[in-house]
Amino acid sequence: MIGRAARGQPRSVAWVRRHTFEIVLILPLVAYITVLTIAPIIDTFRLSFSAPNAGFGTFDSYQAIFKDTVFRHAVVNTIIVALLSLVLEVGVGLAIALTLHVKFVGRGFVRTVMLVPLGVPTIVSGAVMLLIFARAGYMNSILGLFAGLIDRIPGIDFKWTNVSWTAAGGWRTLFTIAIADMWKVLPIMTLIFLAGLQSIPEDVYEAADVDGATKWQRFTRVTLPLLIPFFTMALILRAIDAFRIFELALVLGTEPVLGTYISGRYRPPANDPFTSAAASIILFGIIMLFIIMYLKFVARFQVQR
Amino acid sequence: MSTPRFRRTRRDPLDVPLRVTFPFWVIGSVLLVLFPLYLIFMVSFAPGSAVFGERPQLVVTNFTLQWWQEAFKSAGLIPPLVKSLVVASVTTLLAILIAAPAAYVISRLRPAIRYTIVIGLLVTRMFPEFAIGISVATRFAKLGLLDDYLGLILAHLIGSLPFIAWILVGTFETIPIDLEEAAQIDGASRLGTLIRVVFPIAAGGIAVASLFVWLYSWNEFLYARLLTTNQLTLPLKVFQTIDRGTTQQLATVAAILTLPILLVVYFLQRYLRPGALTGAVKG
Repeated sequence: MIGRAARGQPRSVAWVRRHTFEIVLILPLVAYITVLTIAPIIDTFRLSFSAPNAGFGTFDSYQAIFKDTVFRHAVVNTIIVALLSLVLEVGVGLAIALTLHVKFVGRGFVRTVMLVPLGVPTIVSGAVMLLIFARAGYMNSILGLFAGLIDRIPGIDFKWTNVSWTAAGGWRTLFTIAIADMWKVLPIMTLIFLAGLQSIPEDVYEAADVDGATKWQRFTRVTLPLLIPFFTMALILRAIDAFRIFELALVLGTEPVLGTYISGRYRPPANDPFTSAAASIILFGIIMLFIIMYLKFVARFQVQR
Repeated sequence: MSTPRFRRTRRDPLDVPLRVTFPFWVIGSVLLVLFPLYLIFMVSFAPGSAVFGERPQLVVTNFTLQWWQEAFKSAGLIPPLVKSLVVASVTTLLAILIAAPAAYVISRLRPAIRYTIVIGLLVTRMFPEFAIGISVATRFAKLGLLDDYLGLILAHLIGSLPFIAWILVGTFETIPIDLEEAAQIDGASRLGTLIRVVFPIAAGGIAVASLFVWLYSWNEFLYARLLTTNQLTLPLKVFQTIDRGTTQQLATVAAILTLPILLVVYFLQRYLRPGALTGAVKG
């Protein structure tokens, strides 16, 4: 230190000289994220507190969207779709992971099949669900087939009338969106829970067996508690995307969610980046709120045990 | 007969129901996953009559190649295909070039700083893409980057850099620092060590990360829609066909978008071990 000071070099310059190699390697990433991620986020915050004729420092855009019934409807729909798809994804993902954790003939094949949707683009999974759930779609074909079989039983008169799942709006559309989302992300959820199941050591189960635990007790008292970190990972990873749902809602029916609302405000004919920015800040707030609430819930749950 | 029984062979009330339902559950979930895919390919080969009516046929017997031929001849599929391929490949290349060296440096920092940076990278993903995309699209419009390969590549890097850096930090952390020291004692420069020792060892992790970036860009819809007015990518082409096309045209475009990825995922699935995604979290 004395040496450097004697040479008349400030400490910061010396630090830069010593770490030139590292700085050169890391600089492109830092510059990119600063210019094309952090700056746009700040810019969007600024936009959301601006209005075309009021300049910066106004809540006009927020007031405008909160008065908008479509926006309020979109907020409710977003929360319903996100929670519904999270429950479906965690439930079915865990069930499939438990299945693949058991040894059975053809397990390798089933495992490969389960990974397949990973390679299907989201927009395609929306398009397929449109084929399945439209009024003249394949869901009604299958249900009609079963109804026909039941109808053949003598004495029972049963006919299936076609139902439109997507265009009808309301809970049917939201449910279709959640199913489409579930199908697409099942591989990721299965992989996460499979990693969790493989991390549980065998001797914990042996101890439970010695104590005379039934299978159900093994599952609820051993497996589930030890999977909590993996639930946390799966839920946080998925929640972020579930609240941001966009393509599927755009393709499947006309129920507004925040993603489509933001996009609709930005594009013509509205052409309004201000309310669009305000709505995307609200969406960010909802995501943060969910994650904080979940982490508090898990913390309390773990203390209680 | 007189051997002591250490393990209980007591009957469990769940044994019978589990054993009976297990095969049905396995077959059912396989069908659930495969049915939508079967539909895409089946409908793309189906003649017009098969998809009409109140209850479309579940099995088609008379196949036709009409829709595939049409898709490549007249439906204008080649430009979107080229755009998607070029954008995905260049994005992947640039993402590796920018993120790999940085991830290496981050992996060699003190743990406290390292985890702060990794969590910071994840937090950027919590922002809705629109919160970044709207500002980016407004600026790119002024710079003339709409309907431009470069504009879309820059946008796709926004989505992929934090993710790929996060995966690669996890990969580099597992490479012992002794190896680098040994190479430097042998007279290698720091850059030489990085290129000839560290990166080759990390090749597997870099490959998996590249795969994810390529898939992300190939599938990406939101930025593509914000930054495009008429030079479509494949996902945008699918969306346009949903709006205007027939059922078979839609199925064919969807099949063309899906087929390459199915092959990629099938051949690389052995790398997609459960640990591949969770390793980086645990460090």
